[in-house]
Amino acid sequence: MPAKLGRGAISSSSSEAGLAYLLLAPVIILVGGLILVPVFGTLTLSFFRDVSFLPPVKFIGLANYRRLLSDPNFWYSAFVTVMFALVAVFFETVLGLFYALVINEKFRLRGIMRAVVLIPWAIPTIVSAKIWQLMYNFNYGLLNYLFVHFHLSSHPVNWLGTPLSAFTSIVVSDVWKTAPFMAILFLAGLQSIPAALYEAAMVDGASMFQRFWNITLPMLRPIIVIALIFRTIDSLRIFDLIYVLTGGGPAGSTTSISVYGFKLYILGDFGYGSAVSVFTFVLILLFTIMYLKMGRFQEGMKH
Amino acid sequence: MKRLVRSLVVVLVVGLVLSFAFSGVGVAANTTIVFAVGGAPSEIDYWHKVIKSFEEKNPGISVDLLRQPMNTAVRMQTLVTPLSSKESTPDVFLMDVAWVGQFAASGWLTPLNKFVTKDHYDLNVFFKKTIKLADTYKSKLIALPVYIDAGLLYYRKDLLKKYGYSHPPVTWKELVEVAQKVQAGERKHNPKFWGFVWQGKQYEGLVCDFLEFIVSNGGNILNSKGQPVLNSPNNVEALTFMRDLIHKYKISPPNTYTEMMEEPVRRTFQSGNAMFERNWPYAWGLHNSEKSPVKGEVGIAPLPHFPGHESAATLGGWHIGMNVYSKRKLAAWKFIKFVESYNTEKGFAMNLGWNPGRQDVYKDRDVIAKAPYLKALRKVFVGAVPRPGVPYYTKLSDIIQKYVNAAIAGKMSPKSALDRAQSEAKIIVSQYGGTTK
Repeated sequence: MPAKLGRGAISSSSSEAGLAYLLLAPVIILVGGLILVPVFGTLTLSFFRDVSFLPPVKFIGLANYRRLLSDPNFWYSAFVTVMFALVAVFFETVLGLFYALVINEKFRLRGIMRAVVLIPWAIPTIVSAKIWQLMYNFNYGLLNYLFVHFHLSSHPVNWLGTPLSAFTSIVVSDVWKTAPFMAILFLAGLQSIPAALYEAAMVDGASMFQRFWNITLPMLRPIIVIALIFRTIDSLRIFDLIYVLTGGGPAGSTTSISVYGFKLYILGDFGYGSAVSVFTFVLILLFTIMYLKMGRFQEGMKH
Repeated sequence: MKRLVRSLVVVLVVGLVLSFAFSGVGVAANTTIVFAVGGAPSEIDYWHKVIKSFEEKNPGISVDLLRQPMNTAVRMQTLVTPLSSKESTPDVFLMDVAWVGQFAASGWLTPLNKFVTKDHYDLNVFFKKTIKLADTYKSKLIALPVYIDAGLLYYRKDLLKKYGYSHPPVTWKELVEVAQKVQAGERKHNPKFWGFVWQGKQYEGLVCDFLEFIVSNGGNILNSKGQPVLNSPNNVEALTFMRDLIHKYKISPPNTYTEMMEEPVRRTFQSGNAMFERNWPYAWGLHNSEKSPVKGEVGIAPLPHFPGHESAATLGGWHIGMNVYSKRKLAAWKFIKFVESYNTEKGFAMNLGWNPGRQDVYKDRDVIAKAPYLKALRKVFVGAVPRPGVPYYTKLSDIIQKYVNAAIAGKMSPKSALDRAQSEAKIIVSQYGGTTK
């Protein structure tokens, strides 16, 4: 309504803005209270010695970070976390791409198929972790039943009992749950690729593999980079799945950084635990920057 | 129209804010205390009964049961969160003996001495050593034992007789002799038979077993000043013996250090495949259950010891404590007293098969009729030793688990394993040992 613009309209729009701020206030307070305060609180706390059983709280500068550098358990958990992120995200991407290619094809029951593929993603992690925990159970788990029943193993396997098998079990559960997420993103990407490209390629006699390699993958790259960023960030802060499945065990072998920080919190060492959390943040930041550079994502944004 | 919408919105927002602001107001006619407890469904049901009879006897006080999960670690977390943020509830809660030290040192527990003195409350009904070592912090009473656990030696009465022994072994050397003889005999028709099964996997249970071996050789984890003494000659000798059980005497299976936790140990013994077993009292009921192959053939005894020293049992169990930030401490104390009363404690033994924290219940005729083994258990509980009551215990435990497991797996010599454990423990103590107990 530009024709109506006049003095009255301006003053009304400024009070309109006032109302807008008023209505926004709860959101701003919520975001500030729930995100900014805890984040800066954690950062501040990481410069203090705040151990519940060693009062008083004392400013110690970077001492928590110095301790971090020489803490073998911390470096081990950082190693576990990065390994988990690399292995899990790799399989999620491959499997997600496979899902997406399948449900992108036209076939009967495609609608149902799409819904089925997405179910694992719709289940809350704690719930799916509990389901997997039951399946891995040594005595009455489904996996051991199947393994023994079909003679894949002569005796039940203690899936969550050794460091390597526990790690593998966690990766499998995570891939099962989050490959569908990758699939949704890839599916959206696939549908934005013009069909004309494929038609032209087919006229030129390109094989299915050539079409995938020369059209699908390059066109999908920006989406893949975004998906990798999302999933890597997510898996670097892995907590809930491990907490439920192994609690960080056996013998600390699957303790991710988040689980390590949490254990420090339970011990009552809030200062050092905060330093660990801040490190997690820095680690995720590094990975994100790396991906952005690798995917030349910013150039894509500029065009 | 627009103005109407705007004023409606404002009214809504103001109303919402006001309703939030006043929702906390409300005067309770009764004093209500919150009691946090977890456990199996049957245990929770029993706690509800305890609360009901408490409320009947104490009109004006009601107790809200805040149900915690079964998992011990999660039960701890659900208490650390409110306590570290100075919440006034839960007012009363149960603690595993392993965390009492951390809670006490953090100043989260109300000292009970004042109440005890005022009421002339008799502490002699409890196990003296438990009160002194587990429930006292800096000479203040900060908790009371609700039920206790301790490591025991289970043995096969029938096999002992069959191979000509009149009594269970008293020293570790005797245990090795008996186990070797029985194992050699039984292997002829049962190749899966082992002389002695115990908890050796890298986990908390290993620390309990380790403590029993070293204390029964005059060793310990920390000395009286709270300094680690892990690599003392007595400890090295005891750990060497633990390793030899598997590798030299070959009376304990090789999966001791990879798989053996309470349940695998119990199952091995219960299926008739072991002569001796180290386990907690809970195994007794299962060993004597209807379908158990060893029903009626099981005996219990204190764990053996090394020559010149005394038998030791690691103390487990749960203790009741009061939140230091509680606003209803008097009511909370009344409830604690009720939980610790003779009748409630007797009820725990009769209904849940728990081993009461009160000594006098062990002489109760009904209790003995129902659980005759409690008479023998009492002797073990009297001498039970707690794990170090330091707030950073979990850190020490991690170190001990790692190196003791490496030694019994044969990956490190007992001496060098304990040397490494000692130097790592020293770092932990220097980081967290600022308070002296």
